[in-house]
Amino acid sequence: MTTQTAPEGILVTTTSASTQTPPAARPPVTERSADGGSGSGTGSYEPPTPPRPRRLPSPIRPSAFGAEDVFLLVASAFSALCLVWIVFYQLTSLSGGLGFLVAWYFTFLALVWLGTTQLIERQVATDRVVGVVVVSAALLVIGLVLFIVVWVAYKALPSIHWVALFTKDQKNFQVADPNALSQVGILHAIVGTVEQVLIAVAIGVPFAVATAIYLNEVKGFGSRTVRTVVTAMSGTPSVVAGIFIYSMLILTGVLHYSGFAASLALVVILLPSVTRVVEEVLRVVPSGLREASQALGAPEWRTVWSVVLPTARSGVVTAVLLGIARIVGETAPLLFTAFGSQVMNLNAFSHDQASLPLVIWSDVRQAQPVLIDLAFQAAFVLMTLVLILFVLARIFSRPRGRKSGKRRGGNRPAEDDFMARIFVPIPIEESTDR
Amino acid sequence: MTTTLPPSSAPTDPDRPASFSGTHVLGEPGQIDADGVCAWFGGRIVLESVDLVMEKSKVTALIGPSGCGKSTFLRILNRMHEVVPGAQLAGSVELDGVDIYGPGQRAMETRRHIGMVFQKPNPFPAMTIAENVLAGLKFSRISPANKSDLIEESLTKGGLWNEVKDRLGELGGALSGGQQQRLCIARSLAVKPRVLLMDEPCSALDPTSTLRIEQTIKEIADEVTVVIVTHNMQQAQRVSDYCAFFLAEENQPGRVIESGRTEMIFGEPTDQRTFDYVNGQFG
Ligand SMILES: Nc1ncnc2c1ncn2[C@@H]1O[C@H](COP(=O)(O)OP(=O)(O)O)[C@@H](O)[C@H]1O
Ligand SMILES: [Mg+2]
Repeated sequence: MTTQTAPEGILVTTTSASTQTPPAARPPVTERSADGGSGSGTGSYEPPTPPRPRRLPSPIRPSAFGAEDVFLLVASAFSALCLVWIVFYQLTSLSGGLGFLVAWYFTFLALVWLGTTQLIERQVATDRVVGVVVVSAALLVIGLVLFIVVWVAYKALPSIHWVALFTKDQKNFQVADPNALSQVGILHAIVGTVEQVLIAVAIGVPFAVATAIYLNEVKGFGSRTVRTVVTAMSGTPSVVAGIFIYSMLILTGVLHYSGFAASLALVVILLPSVTRVVEEVLRVVPSGLREASQALGAPEWRTVWSVVLPTARSGVVTAVLLGIARIVGETAPLLFTAFGSQVMNLNAFSHDQASLPLVIWSDVRQAQPVLIDLAFQAAFVLMTLVLILFVLARIFSRPRGRKSGKRRGGNRPAEDDFMARIFVPIPIEESTDR
Repeated sequence: MTTTLPPSSAPTDPDRPASFSGTHVLGEPGQIDADGVCAWFGGRIVLESVDLVMEKSKVTALIGPSGCGKSTFLRILNRMHEVVPGAQLAGSVELDGVDIYGPGQRAMETRRHIGMVFQKPNPFPAMTIAENVLAGLKFSRISPANKSDLIEESLTKGGLWNEVKDRLGELGGALSGGQQQRLCIARSLAVKPRVLLMDEPCSALDPTSTLRIEQTIKEIADEVTVVIVTHNMQQAQRVSDYCAFFLAEENQPGRVIESGRTEMIFGEPTDQRTFDYVNGQFG
C-alpha cells in the first residue's frame, strides 16, 4: 500500500491487485485520471499503474457538537457555580452540600437553556437541556457504580491477605492477634453462597422457564391469573420469603437451619423475576417461526424445545443471570434459614451454613477492625463473583453455528469481539408481528 | 357459482386407503380435492363453499384481492387453520382420496405430507443452514440414511446449493432475504411432501430473487404439487397451470368466482369480475 501525506483532507489509499508494485516502479506518467485504471484499450504495453491516493474533502457533520457548544456548557456550569455560591453564602446563609449541588444543577440547566436561546433558538435550547439531563442521569449512574466499586476496593484491598482469604474460615480468629488477617478467611462463606445459589438455580430456573412457557406458548387455562400472581410474587419483600420458609419448614421441624432451607427461600425470590424476564424474551420470538415449525409437522413441545427456546437462548441465559445477580446478594432471607456460621460446612443439607452476605452483615458491625476489613473483603469478593458470572454468561450466550470452519461475511461481526460480546445487549432477532 | 377444475383423475378404487400415511411413496406428488370448504374466524364466516381440485404435479395459483380468504383456504389445506384460536371450518379436504380431516387423521402427520412456505422468510435463526434443511426430519424423529446427500439434494432443488455449499455451518439468518426464502423451500422439500403450499412466497423479495423462486417452482413441479397464492398477475401466468380466482364481495364471505386453466382465466374468462381483476380494473 502506498500512502502520501497531503496537507489537508482525508487520504484514501486505493487498494487493488496492482498494489504490490513498489513506488519506485511508478511510470513517469503524471496527468492521468486518479482512478488508476490500467488503460486496457491501448495496444501497447503499459506497466500497471500503481494506485493513486484519492483526495477527499474533509468530512463535516453539520449538526455536530462543536467547540462553541462545549464552551457554552462549561460557561454555564461555571456561572451557575458562581451564582449559587453568591446566593448561598453571600445573600442568604444557607448551607448543606446536597442543597448546593441541586441548586447548582438546576441553575446550570437554566443557564444552558438561556444561553442556547440567545445564541441559537428556543427549540434547540429545549433539545439541548433535555440532552444534558439525559446525559447527566447516565453519568450519575455510572459514577455511582464506579464509586461503589472503588470504595469497596479501597476499603478491602490494602489489608487483604489473599491466601488466607480464600483458604481459611473464621474459626481461628483471635482478637489479640495483630496478624489476625492471615489467620481468617471467607472460604466457608464462598462455599455457602455458591452452594445455596446453585441449588436455588437448579430448582428455580426449570420452574421459571416452564411457567414462562405456560404463559406465553401454551397460553393455557388461567394464564392471566398466573401472570398476575407471578407479578405480585415479584413484589414479595425478601424478608417475607425468609419468614415463610422459616415458619413453614423450620419451625415445623421439616428442615433444620441449612443451606438448603436458604436455597428454598431464594427460589421464592428467583422464580418471579426469572419467569417475567423469560416470558418477555419468548414474546420477542417471531410467531412466524412457530408456524414454520408446526407446518413442518412438529408437535408443540418440539416447537418450543427446538425452535423457540434456542432462538431465545441468549435471552434466557441473561434472564438466569439476572436472577442469580438478584439472589446472590440477598441477606434477609438467609438470616432465618442458613443462619450463618463461622466455620466451614460443606454440606448444604444439614446444619448452619455461612454465606457472603451473612458474613458481611455480621462482621461489619463488629468492634474489631480486622472483622470490618474482612467484611469489606467479602463484599469485594461478592462483587467480583457477580462480575465473573456476567462475563461467563455473555460468553456462553453467544450464538453458535460456526462449527464448520469457513465463515464469510456473517452479519454479526460484533459477536467476534470479546468485549463486544460482553457488553452488547442481547440481540433481539425481530420484533413481534402478530 | 363455483366451478371445479377440469375432470379430476382422483383415485376411484372402491377400497380407498383409510390413512394416507401408510401408502405414501416418497417424492410422489399428490392431488388435493377440496369440497365445500367454509371457514370462520370467531364466528364470522370468511370463506364459503369452495370446491377446488388441485391437480397432481401441477401448479395451481390462487389469485384475488386481499382479504378474500386465499391464505385461509391455503391454511385449511394443511390443517394450519385450526392453530388460530377461534378458527372453525367445514367441508372436506382429500389428499389422494383420504380426507385429512377424517377421524383418526393427525394434523402433524398431514403437515408432513403437505408442506408450507410463508410470505415472510422464516429460517430458524438458531440453526445452521444444514440444520435448517434437516429440521423437518428432526421434528419427525426420522434420521435420513445420508444427511449430506439429503442436504445437497434439497438445497439443489431449492436452487440454493451453489450459493451456500461452502457455508452450510453458518446460521440461517446470515443469508439474504431471497436466499432465506429458498432455504425455507428446501427445508419444506427435505421431508419429501406430496404438496407444497406457498403463501405469497415472493412478496417480500426483490425481482431477481422472485425470478429465482419462480424458476425453482417450475423445477420442483414434477415431484410435488404446488399451490401458490400470489398477488402478481404476471407471476400467476408465468408459473401456474391452473388458476382460481377468489373474491369476497362487500359483507360477503370469500368465494371462488372462477377457476380453470391459467390461459383460460387470463385469456377468456367467463365472469366479468374475473376479467376486471386479471386486467387490473380493481383489486
Ligand atoms: N387470525 C385471524 N383472526 C380473525 N380474522 C382473520 C384472521 N386471519 C384472517 N382473518 C380474516 O379472514 C379474512 C380472509 O383473510 P385472508 O385469508 O388472510 O385473506 P387473503 O390471504 O386472501 O388476503 C379477512 O377478512 C381477514 O380479516
Ligand atoms: Mg394472505
